[in-house]
This record gives sequence, C-alpha cells and structure tokens, in this order.
Amino acid sequence: MELVSLKNVSMNSKILLLEELGYGSNGKFVLDSNGNKVLDRYLEIPVEVENMVILPGSEIVLDNNELSISKYIEEFGDVF
Amino acid sequence: MSSDDPIESAAAGITKGIIELSSEKIKEWIRKFKDRKLAFIQDKSVIEVVKEQYASGESKFYSKYIKNKDILFLTRLGLTLRKIENDIERVTNLQQKILKKYEVRGLHISYFVQNGILNRYIGLLIEDISSEEELEEKILNILENIEKHTLFVTGQDKPERVIQSALTIVSSHNPTIFIVSGIGSASKIVKECSQKLESLMTNYELEKVSGGKKEILFFKRKVKI
Repeated sequence: MELVSLKNVSMNSKILLLEELGYGSNGKFVLDSNGNKVLDRYLEIPVEVENMVILPGSEIVLDNNELSISKYIEEFGDVF
Repeated sequence: MSSDDPIESAAAGITKGIIELSSEKIKEWIRKFKDRKLAFIQDKSVIEVVKEQYASGESKFYSKYIKNKDILFLTRLGLTLRKIENDIERVTNLQQKILKKYEVRGLHISYFVQNGILNRYIGLLIEDISSEEELEEKILNILENIEKHTLFVTGQDKPERVIQSALTIVSSHNPTIFIVSGIGSASKIVKECSQKLESLMTNYELEKVSGGKKEILFFKRKVKI
C-alpha cells in the first residue's frame, strides 16, 4: 500500500482531492455530498481537512489519531 | 527514502514544503486509491506506533488472556500511550479521545497498562495462581472493576483524602491486591501517604514501584494460615 502524506499538501489541493472523491469542504471540515460534516467513523467527531486521513474500505475518512487508526486496523485488518 | 520532489516526498510519506497538486496527479492518486493501492495519511508515525503495539509481545500476551474486545482494545491503547508518553501533546490528544469514547473507566484501564501496573499486577497474581483459567478470570475481574482495586491519585488530591479513599475502597471491596497509583505530580502525594497506609492496612503487605515520575503502591492481602 502506497501511503501519501497530506500534511504539506495545500488546502486547495486537498479540497480538489475531496471533490474528486465526492466530498467537499467549508475550508475547515470535510463535508459529505449533502453538505453535512463528515464524522469520524469511530469517534463520531467532525473530521477537519487539516487532520484527515482517507483510507480504503468504502472511502473511510477519519481523524488522524491513534484510537481511530487502531479501530480501523481492527475492522479492516492491516492494509498498510 | 528521500526525494527533493515534494510530490514524490508526499508519496513516500515524507513532508516537505507546501505542495500544490496538478489535476493529473490528483486523478492518478484517486485511481490508485480506488484500486486500494494507495491511502492518504498525515504522517506515518501514527500508523507505525499503532502497528508496533499490536505486534508487541505484551499485546499478544494480553490478547491471549483478555477476551473482552473493548477491554483488550483499551490495553492496546495503554501500550500506545506508553510508547508516545514523551510527546505530551499527542498523549493529551489520545487521552481525550479515550475519555470521549470509553469514559473515565476506559481511561483508567489504559493508564493501568501505560504505567506498567497491569504487568506488575499479573506478576503478583502468578505467585498464587493455579490455572490459566484462573489467571484469565482475575485479569478480567480487575479490569472490569478497576475502581474497586485501584485508587488513581491526582495532583490535586490531599493526602488525608487519599488515605480515607484507600481505606474506604479496601473495606468495601476487600481486594486481594489493592493499588494506589500516582503519576506525575501525584507521585509525591502517594509517597507522602505510603507509610501511613502501610501502618493502617495491617492485613496487607506493601510492595512499591518507584521511579521517574511514578509512585505505585501494591498492597497484597496477607494469606491467613
């Protein structure tokens, strides 16, 4: 699995990336196609563009933290 | 791997400068992503730390004896907290996430592992255990009822209050092993209480684990012959 860091990718590029995946952003949070904030699958907190990770498995958008990544690995296995 | 090309660096999980992506590059990455050949991350360290904890011997030991999935998950988060404990911002962030998802009890379970209390507790248990089933049962019992076995002292607690709380827990639940844990600024308070507690808890033998910013008291109930 190729891991691409978004850390230093510009906000504009990140938003374009999200749009290609069918998401959007209000400049701070990731939004779904209806304009609602996308929630981290495991913590149910809004995901910020600056701290998002996008992982395989029905396009999982998560907050970048150890708890969510651990939960992801438990659900989908070590895809990394 | 290192590269002067910021896009190659991003693709290698390395961060360099601010990167503007061309629409072709975005399309290429999206194609790879949809083929499950690529994932978008922030930095590799979060993933690496998590993977390392899952692969550790301690984690494998716990997975053998802890069948409750949520509790096992919290022990792994405890190992992760231990690994990142020198990075205060990261520790605080993870603690907040644990608190949100698993409340105070979940945070206490992860502290218990982070600070090496569970592995020492198991060491004490093993001295008197007769089967693997008994060990499994006792590990689960302490983690499910952690507040009946452990007093987590905070830096704001007063020594008198710590002593009173410890005696209340012991008289209410009569644990085989009772633990008083003081981490960071609380370690001084636990040290202050240690002698007094030892003199009051005559049915228990005291074993201390001291070092760095930790003061942990293990009171093991004496066996009556």
